[in-house]
Amino acid sequence: MTRLTGTDAMRNLVMLLLIAAAAAGAYADDASFTSHAGVGSMTGAEIYDHICAGCHMPDAQGAVGAGAYPKLAANQKLVSWQYVALTVLNGRNGMPPFGLPADQVMETRAAFLSDAQIADVVNYVRTHFDNKYQADVTAKQVAALPHPPTSMMGPQ
Amino acid sequence: MENADGSNSLTRRQLLQVIGSAAGAGAMYQAMSSLGLAAESPYRGPVDLQGAPKGATVLILGAGMAGMTAAYELRNAGYSVQVLEYNGRAGGRNWTIRGGDRYTELGGLSQQCEFDKDLYINPGPWRIPYHHFGMMHYAKVLGVPLEPFCQVNYNAYLHSAQAFGGKPQRYREVKADYQGHVAELLAKCTRQNSLDSAVSKEDQEKLLVSLREWGALDKHYAYVASEAASDRRGYQKNPGGGLSARPIPSKPVALSDILKSGLWQGIPSGDTFDMQTALFQPVGGMGRIGEAFGRELGSQIRYNSKVIDIHQDDHGVAVRFVDSRTGGSEQTLRADWCLCTLPLPVLAQIPMNVGEALSAAIAAVPYAAAIKVGLQFKRRFWEEDEQIYGGITYTDLPITNIGYPNYGFQSGGKGVLLGAYIWGLNAMEFTAMTPQERVQKVLEYGSQIHPQYHKEFDNGVAVAWHRVPFTLGCFGMWSTDSRAKHYDDLCRIDGRIALAGEHASFLGGWQEGAVTSALDAIARLHERAVSQGKKV
Repeated sequence: MTRLTGTDAMRNLVMLLLIAAAAAGAYADDASFTSHAGVGSMTGAEIYDHICAGCHMPDAQGAVGAGAYPKLAANQKLVSWQYVALTVLNGRNGMPPFGLPADQVMETRAAFLSDAQIADVVNYVRTHFDNKYQADVTAKQVAALPHPPTSMMGPQ
Repeated sequence: MENADGSNSLTRRQLLQVIGSAAGAGAMYQAMSSLGLAAESPYRGPVDLQGAPKGATVLILGAGMAGMTAAYELRNAGYSVQVLEYNGRAGGRNWTIRGGDRYTELGGLSQQCEFDKDLYINPGPWRIPYHHFGMMHYAKVLGVPLEPFCQVNYNAYLHSAQAFGGKPQRYREVKADYQGHVAELLAKCTRQNSLDSAVSKEDQEKLLVSLREWGALDKHYAYVASEAASDRRGYQKNPGGGLSARPIPSKPVALSDILKSGLWQGIPSGDTFDMQTALFQPVGGMGRIGEAFGRELGSQIRYNSKVIDIHQDDHGVAVRFVDSRTGGSEQTLRADWCLCTLPLPVLAQIPMNVGEALSAAIAAVPYAAAIKVGLQFKRRFWEEDEQIYGGITYTDLPITNIGYPNYGFQSGGKGVLLGAYIWGLNAMEFTAMTPQERVQKVLEYGSQIHPQYHKEFDNGVAVAWHRVPFTLGCFGMWSTDSRAKHYDDLCRIDGRIALAGEHASFLGGWQEGAVTSALDAIARLHERAVSQGKKV
């Protein structure tokens, strides 16, 4: 701790916790929505239903318009868990990345999923929708993949 | 909270994150704007494109604001212009849904809008700040009348489910009380000589006078129930005429309650540059501008055309496309130059022979999730019961915004309001629902603020931008890092192809970004065309 002792820092922290607590409680009784404080506890199935299904559709059939959302059901590309995990981590062609470092998550209005959650949702997709792979991807394996780079800008 | 440089204050970046995660992206954007991170329009009057090579042709992809701005100016400069558009209408995200319109989202779910005549919702952009000079200019030359867009309504609400027992508070009261208490505190500091090192004695006197006025303080520099304070926060009984005329002052809410509520976050909603009065909306819906542009360009726009391949060589650009409804047989159009305004999630999937730098830039920009829900009610209860005429209520519920119509005041009959406008995680969750579920959820949450919802609801329309077939997302979300790495490459001309759109601007998500990026790109294309002379 430096110059002004820890008082200011502590005050900031308390303020943060107060605000975060208020935000977390706002709609805690509705399973349809997740607060930013609660996103870390979503399971693979919940992540698919709440987030992925928006584009890839609830039945994982994808969709086609001026561009397309890939069908994840019975998709042979899912043989590579790394391919799926890297796509979730880094995004692709307009798909938001879910492994952004914290300083970019809010800047891009994305959501952050932990390595364990990404392993969980990869396992979920690879064992559902007529995909018959092993649910054996671990957080440790995801952690070993390239993640989006941390900010080049550094602390201001 | 110690930083790398050893200081222990929050960095600006950390602060933005905190604001974002606690109060939502809207609040964060306001904070960004107030910190000078949101930019002003570079529009400086009509573009000068003299000396177009005779017979030069330009193929424009996309009839949104960027594509049609470019088509209009290039045509007027003497170029031969053709526009390919995926939809059966002009405008792109400049779009208004009215009664009778049918909208089918990705996944195939269809909605039939049942709004009454003259009622509408803008699923995309809904306001034009006066300093978006490009948008103002084209509205004027296209003859599209504008009317005021009310950004701040002092009688609309700030709401938190966790504060004041979930009861919405009038913006006027929160602002007056916050300001009054802060003025009182600062006056106290001044009078206790706490500011002596920062403010000269002479200035302190002036500061005290200004604080009394700014905060509506009494002669003892206190913020208390008074005529002056009520003149800001409203009266318990309003002044009137005759024997029942005498006003009764209202009682301010304590500073601690305001601070705990978090509602202070909503106070600067009209202070940021983008949101400062005056703002405008086209009479009859934002889509009136795109429609007028479409009429102006007439047969130069080829509708229902889905681009499937873009190929350039030394002589020109060839674009292959199919009918977007039937997928029918392929056709090809050729031109000397191509201005491509397709949203990046769409463009990223179309084969196009450009350099690696541009390809990487096209694939580097995630598109934001956003939802808008329009609700028609059997009567304008927000006006009749609550005296809210236009403006916006902000809440920490997942609906985030309730926007009241800025037209048709006191018209009787039905009314349509914007029941929700959301970004971020909750927008993704709304996207994953069916349109009916979205409307249902918005009613459920909105009724916490307006209990009349239950009784007065008529019908609704919900647009989730990740399911919009022609964009696959709302707008490009650059991070500081991705912009540093890719932005210039995205905007640079590659051979005979240039990109334009809000994604190629520092006004992300604003129509002005599309307009100014188009003008910038065609000025550079024009320069190149002139230097190459007439093509044979």
